[in-house]
Amino acid sequence: MDYDASKGEIILEKELNKLDLFVLDFVANLNKYVIVSGYVSILFGRARSSEDIDLLVPKLSEKEFLDLWNILSNKGFWCINTSKSSEAFEMLSEHAIRFCKNEPVPNMEFKIIKNELDEFAYEHKIKVSLNDKTLYISPLELQIAFKLYLGSDKDIEDARHIYKTFNEKINKEELELFVDKLDVRSKLNLLT
Amino acid sequence: MKDIKDIKVDLVELAKFKERNFKERLEFIDWWVNYIKTHSDKEWSKQQKEIIDSQLSDK
Repeated sequence: MDYDASKGEIILEKELNKLDLFVLDFVANLNKYVIVSGYVSILFGRARSSEDIDLLVPKLSEKEFLDLWNILSNKGFWCINTSKSSEAFEMLSEHAIRFCKNEPVPNMEFKIIKNELDEFAYEHKIKVSLNDKTLYISPLELQIAFKLYLGSDKDIEDARHIYKTFNEKINKEELELFVDKLDVRSKLNLLT
Repeated sequence: MKDIKDIKVDLVELAKFKERNFKERLEFIDWWVNYIKTHSDKEWSKQQKEIIDSQLSDK
């Protein structure tokens, strides 16, 4: 795995697991998105699975959403929350909706960018070249700090996994800025 | 067999166990990251694939 922090690009050649394949299958239908949270640590080797993958997209018009809904439906994805596209679009302004294929697990937690941290994740996303495919993920510094903020044992372990995996390439100054924004300085020692 | 109400629970001991368990999990993270860094992506990801694929349906 090779991370070029100046280019914001990670190159990874791995044996794809079912979660990787599900994510690649889903994001192939999107132009604008960023993946955040647990799957980021799993992508880079964390020894655990997950029921869901968190994905942020910029605000969509109803037409844009309906077009995407049709594309996803034609590819065999279905929405767990509702079978009606108009209802799904309404829900999206309030909360995440979930898409799966065949079985409900794993599923894609599909959310609209709602706050400035989401915007930062999207605007500073990292390109991951995964075998011959491409994925976009949250900046690692934000990801680590946010996992510290979430704070469960699993989240701390995810944060530590990313921190230790990319230790030399992590922008410590930026990490500390996020840590202070999220008021988790007292948890920094759990990374090392 | 003891009735549930008669079972004694040492919460101080359990708290120590919980703390020790978390510390050990963090140590495993370090060990596993070191494994990732010292083995090819294909090698570690093959093991990860076994863990993840065993937990997800084939459908």
